[in-house]
Formats: sequence, structure tokens, C-alpha cells
Amino acid sequence: MEQRVTVAIVEDHPVVTEGVASWIRADPGQRVQLVHTARDLTGLHGEARPSADVIILDLELSGELVTSQIPGLVAAGYRVVAFSGHSDPAIVMETLDSGAHAYVSKEEGSDHLVEAVLAAAADRPYVTRSQARAMLSDQRPGRPELSQQELQALLLWFQGMSKASVGRRMSISENTVRQYISRARAKYAATGRTAPSKDALLARAIEDGVIKPGEIMPYTSFARAAANRPSLGAPGQ
Amino acid sequence: MTDAQSTTMMSGRYQRAFTIAVVVLVAGWHLAGGGGQLLQYRPDYASFAFQAVVWLVLAVAIGVGSVLMLRGSLDWRLAWAIAIVALVASTASAAESPAGHMLAVNWAWGSAGWTAVLVLHRRRLAELAWFLAVEATAIFSVQVWDGLDRLDLAAFLALLAWSTGAQIAVAAAVKALDAAADRAAAAARSEDAARERAATAEIIQAARQARWLALQESTVPLVAELAAGADPGDEQLRVRCAVQAARLRRLMAEGDELPGSLVHELHASADVAELRGIAVEIETAGVLPQVPGPARRVITDAAIAILTAARSQARITLATVAAGIAVSFVADTGSVVLLPAADQGVAIEHQQDGGTLWAEARWNNG
Repeated sequence: MEQRVTVAIVEDHPVVTEGVASWIRADPGQRVQLVHTARDLTGLHGEARPSADVIILDLELSGELVTSQIPGLVAAGYRVVAFSGHSDPAIVMETLDSGAHAYVSKEEGSDHLVEAVLAAAADRPYVTRSQARAMLSDQRPGRPELSQQELQALLLWFQGMSKASVGRRMSISENTVRQYISRARAKYAATGRTAPSKDALLARAIEDGVIKPGEIMPYTSFARAAANRPSLGAPGQ
Repeated sequence: MTDAQSTTMMSGRYQRAFTIAVVVLVAGWHLAGGGGQLLQYRPDYASFAFQAVVWLVLAVAIGVGSVLMLRGSLDWRLAWAIAIVALVASTASAAESPAGHMLAVNWAWGSAGWTAVLVLHRRRLAELAWFLAVEATAIFSVQVWDGLDRLDLAAFLALLAWSTGAQIAVAAAVKALDAAADRAAAAARSEDAARERAATAEIIQAARQARWLALQESTVPLVAELAAGADPGDEQLRVRCAVQAARLRRLMAEGDELPGSLVHELHASADVAELRGIAVEIETAGVLPQVPGPARRVITDAAIAILTAARSQARITLATVAAGIAVSFVADTGSVVLLPAADQGVAIEHQQDGGTLWAEARWNNG
């Protein structure tokens, strides 16, 4: 039996903390164990910090955005899943660029939060619809080059289709849909600021065959992405 | 460009013209007035060379002041630095002029005063007044030092009245013209705004007319049927009512003339569905292009058809795609929905997965 994933919740509204805790309790497999809750980040630095695999982090604590604190948390060895009422694409991108594993908006919480925590604990990509939206909206000059297939899978996923429906629409398997979406996410992990969490995510993606090392070189990715290759290797999950 | 910017630009042009006029006046005075007097009384000065140097110092001060003034980079420190140079030059020239008929040969009082007008005329009038008062006091002190008599005093007062009066008058006139230019620009702007409003009103009026005609075709017959005793319990009739309610709401939204009006119109369609208890999410990705009115209608018609059929929830997304926009709908319609045909550059595709309908209306730009 696999060890349970330990998680801490940092959230300034107790009602939300309670809600998240109830989703964790409701997981049929009881795969996640809540070990710590806090209303701010003060206890998560220093020697006496709690041990947890993943932090569920509300991006706005006492009225202030805490995206700039994510690199510190990642450096301290935590994996961060951002959980926020803000779904503004720029904030989502900033959060991921800072080294968060995944981004879950508050509307997506009940369906996606536990799964995102589990994926983060395994350093696997987890792309919510709000993350897909942010990737589709991304116009920054340094953004990674995504293939047509990756873009199409992200678009249909953002639009609200299930992954099975996306597969039907694109005439590919559901696993290949996951692969395209994960590959897009992995390409993002390879760009922007460096963070140990992004390296871990990328290493795992390579190990899982989601992406090949050659596909993440910033300047070769364009030609390769244009070649539009289908799924590679074994599916990740 | 905003209205405020255009007003500033317009009055800015006038102000520059006034500045140029002041520059020409001051330089002209220094050359012809000051310079002429200096040459005319050349033999009378204790040292003509000294007076010539002072004249050159003032010429440089006027030159620098003019350039800075025209560039608009004359802050109060520079303005006062130049004014003080002029004050010192004028006092030194007076002190070096022959006692007795100093006022007749003194060219520098006027030139220094005009230099101050040049650099201070866009500042408060009081600053120029202070400068001129201090300058006059300095000249008067030199005279007292040289031994003042009644004739000197009379000449001093006459010159003071003439020279200082003219300088204050020029500065005040520029201020008045500036204010007039501001008012003229503001008036022109409000005239432009009025013309624009009239044109907009005409467009809105035409759009209203078109919407009223559209209502005649769809809603009026339905209301007439209801009035004639159609059964409101009939499922078919209720669906038609829901569709017309959504269309009415859309017509109102179309009149709001907001930017990003497709999103706005879709929100309006969603409002009606929400009143029926359908949870509708609307999300956008990317910077959406403007979609022309007829194409928007095809898209919102599809939205109305799908939202009317939705049982409990619907998600609408708008995303920028290569050559236009993809508006998609995912809703638990349960069954196939009759969607509008492709038209006005909008292509519509759909896929039914169990009870969930996915549909996408794509509009391509050109």
C-alpha cells in the first residue's frame, strides 16, 4: 500500500479550510492526509516548519497576493498547489512560473483539488481548465511553442469538454489527450524562472515519456512542435 | 487621442505662438532699444567695453532663456537664475554709468526687465512684479549713491512708469491670451463632442428601429397568440416564450453599445437562463476580436437555442483562435438541439456525448 500524501492548507478563511478538509475526507481512497492548517505563511519557514508533501496555498492571504512567496516555499521542499478565487490568466501564469505545481480556481476545487494534490505529490502535471485558459491566453514573448494538437486539446478542455469527449472530437484516445495537455504543461515548466519544482515536474514528464528532452529546448521546440507528432511512449498514469 | 489631450494640444499651439511673440519682442528690444542706446551714448560711458560685455551677458541670458522657454524646459530655478543674472547686469551697468545723466544713457534697466519678462511671463505675475520692484530699487539705490536731485527723481519715476508698466502689461496680456486659448480649445472640443454625440444618437436611433422591426416579426405574433388564448401550459409554447424572452434581453444588450459586446450579449442571454435556474459560466481566453453585428447574432442565436434547452448548467467560453474567435457551449441539454445554420462567416459544429452537448461557433476574420 502506498503511503498517503501529506498536505497542509494555508488559507485565511476558516470556512474555506473546512471545505477543503471535507473534500479531502470525502476522497474514497483516503489518499491524502491533512497534517497542518495555517492562516498565514509565518509558520512555514525555519527549522520548526511542519513536514508536508504538498501545500494547498490560497493566493490571497489577508488581502495580499502571495505569489512572490511561492519560490521560498518551493525552495523549502514543499510542492505548492495554488487554490484561489483569482482566475485572471496573468496571475495563473505568474503562479506557475513561480514554481507552483498546479493552479485550481475556487470554482474548480471540489472536482480537481484532491487530484491536483496527488499529481503534485508525484511531480506530475495537472492542468485545470483555468490553467488551460491561462496557457491559451498567454501572449508573452518568452512563451513556449505549443503544437496544433496541444493547442486544440487545451482549447477543448478549456471549453468544458470531458477528456473522453475531447478524445472523441480529436479522434484520439483519452490517454493521448492527457498526454497533449501534460506536454503543454511540461513545456511551460521548461520556460521562465528556474525552480526545483519545475525541474522535478520536467524530469518526471521525461521519465513518463510525456515529452522528450529535445522537445523542451527553447529554440528547437518550434520546429518540433510544428512537426505535430502524436503521443510518445507509455502513458503517464 | 482623448478630448483632454487634443484640447491641451490646441491651446499648447497658441501658447507657443505667444511665447515666440515674447521672444521676438525681447530680443528686438535688446538689439534695437538697448543696443541702439548703448551705441548712441558710446562716448559718455566711463568704460564702453564694460557696458558692451554687460550687453553681451544679457544677450546670452536672453538667448538661453528663449531656447529653454521654447523647449518648455525652463523650470523655476533656471528662470530665476537667468533673472538674477539680468538683475546683476542691470545694476552693474547702472553703477558704471556716469552720475547725473545716468538715466538718459542707461540701456540695461529696460533690457534686464524684458529678460525677466521673457523667463517669468508663464509664472505668477507677482514674481515678475517682485523682480521689477527689486530691479527698480537697485537702480534707485545707485542713483542715491551718486547723489540724487529732483530732475533725476522725475526721470526715474517717468522711466519706471513707462518701462515697468509696459513689461507688466505684456506679461499680463500673454496670461490673458493663454486663458483665452484654453477657453477657445475647450469650446472647440465641446463642439466636437456635440457633433459626435449627434452622430452616435443617429446610429443608435437606426439600431433601435431595426430592433423594433425584429420584434414585430418574432415576439409580437407570440404575444398575439397568447392574447388569443393559447395554452401557457403547452411545453412548445413555453420554449418559444423562453426563446423570445432571451431575444428581448439580447435586444436590450445590443443597445447598450459596450465594448466587447459579444461577451455582453452572451451575458444577457445567460441572464434569462439563470432566471430559470440554470447555472451559466462565461469565460474568455485571450484578447477577443470585435465581431460584426450580423455574425454576433448568429452566435447569440446559437447561445439562446442551447441555453433554452439546458437543464441545469451551461458553460460558455470565448477564445481567440488563429483567425478569429471560437465561442463554445457545453450544456446538459439531454437531447439534440436545433442550432442555427452557418451564416455571416460563422461556422457551427457540435458533438453530443450522452446528455451533454458541446457546440462551437467559429467566426473567422475575413
